Amino acid sequence: MNKLLITISLILGAIPVLAENIDITGNVQSRCTVNLDTPGAYGNPNAYTLTTAPASAGQEPIVRFDVSLANAYKAEVSYPTSFSSSPSLPDNVAWTGAVTVAQTSTSDMSGYQAASSIAGSKRTYALTVAGTTWFKSTSIAVYGGGQAKAFPGGAYKAVVLAECIAQ
Amino acid sequence: MQWSMNPDTLGAYGIGGMDISGVIYTYNPIKELEDDFVVIIENDKVGGGFVWQDKEDWSGKHPIRIKKVIPLAYTPLALFGKGRVRTTGKGTVEDVSVIYMFRFDSCFNPQSDPSCPGYVKPKPPAVPKIPDYDALEDDSVKLAQEDLDRELLEDDEEVKDEDDEEDDNSDIQTLLASTTNALTLANQVAQSVILNSINNATNIGTYYVAKIPDSYITESVVLQGGNIVDNRKALRSLAQDNLMDKMIEEQYK
Repeated sequence: MNKLLITISLILGAIPVLAENIDITGNVQSRCTVNLDTPGAYGNPNAYTLTTAPASAGQEPIVRFDVSLANAYKAEVSYPTSFSSSPSLPDNVAWTGAVTVAQTSTSDMSGYQAASSIAGSKRTYALTVAGTTWFKSTSIAVYGGGQAKAFPGGAYKAVVLAECIAQ
Repeated sequence: MQWSMNPDTLGAYGIGGMDISGVIYTYNPIKELEDDFVVIIENDKVGGGFVWQDKEDWSGKHPIRIKKVIPLAYTPLALFGKGRVRTTGKGTVEDVSVIYMFRFDSCFNPQSDPSCPGYVKPKPPAVPKIPDYDALEDDSVKLAQEDLDRELLEDDEEVKDEDDEEDDNSDIQTLLASTTNALTLANQVAQSVILNSINNATNIGTYYVAKIPDSYITESVVLQGGNIVDNRKALRSLAQDNLMDKMIEEQYK
C-alpha cells in the first residue's frame, strides 16, 4: 500500500506591523526683538561718583524694542545695581537710576511711561502698540557709603538688562 | 518748515537718477498733555497730491520724541515736490530731522560716463573757420614797407662812421685811463711803503738814510692824435626833431 504522505506545507506570509513617528513642525517668528541702540558710558564728575548723565561726560545707554504684534509682549528694562567688573571695592556703593521711554515710533506709544510699573530697579512696560520703542536707562553710583570716598582707579563695568517677555 | 528737493538740500546726488525708498523723520513735540496738536510731514507730488504724507495726532497724549520710518517704493526724485512739516493745534515741534533713503543710478544720464550703456560718443567740436591771411593786405606789413626817410638813413650812416671813430678814441681813452690808474696805484703803493718806513723808524736819523724801494714804474705816456674828439652825434641828435615829428604824425594815420 502506498502510502502517500502528503506533506502539506503551509507557508504563511509574514505581515509586518507598520508604525511611524510623524513630526509636526512649526516656526514661531520673533515678533519682538531687542537691540542695542546706544552703548552706555560712565562719566566721573568727582572722585566718588560715576554717572551716565551726559552733563557729566557720561552716555545713557538706549535699547530698542521692535514689536510687530500689539498687546503680546511686555518690555522689562532695569538699571544696574552693581558693577559686573571693577577693582576691589571694600566700601559700599550706593546706586540710583531710572528707566524712561526715550522715543517712540508713533504717538500712540506716548502713554507707555505713565502706564509702566516699577519694581526695584526694573521697570515694566506693556507694549500695546506695534512699532518701535527706545528705552533709556540712567544710573548713578556713589562710593563710600555716604562718606564720599574716592573710587579706586581702574575699569568699571555695569550691565543693563532689557527683556522682551510674552504676556 | 519747508524744503526743496534739490542738491542744496539732498547733497550731490539730489539730481536725476536718485530714487527715494523711504523717509526717517524725528522731532520733539512741545505741548501740554491736554492740548490738541497734530503734526503732518509730507512731500508734494509733482502734478498734484503728495508722494507721501504722515500724520501724528498728539491730542491728549504725552509729548515724547518720535522717530518714524516711512517706507516707500523706489520713487524717482523727479516726482518729489517740496517737503514740509506743518502743525495744527496748540504746540510746536523742535529738533526736527527728515532723512531720505535713496539709491542712485549713475547711468541715469548715459552721457555722464562712457561706461554707461547707451553712451554715445559725442561729436568733436566743429573746426573754427579761420580767415585767409594775405600778408600783402596787412596794414602793418604795408607800413613796414613804406619808403624810408633817406635823410635819416644818411644820418645813420654818418653816425655809424662817427661811432667807429669814437670807438677808436674810446680805446685810446681806456688805454690812457688804465695807464693813469696804474701810475696812481703805483704812487700810492710807494707812498704807503714810505709812510710805513717812517712810522717804523724809531730813530729820526734813520729817516735821512732811508732808501725808497725801487717800485716806481717809469713810463712815458703819449696821447695818440693829441686831442679827444667830441661826440657830434649826440649834439646833432639833440638838435633834430625828425623822429619826434614822425611819431606825432603816426597818430593821425
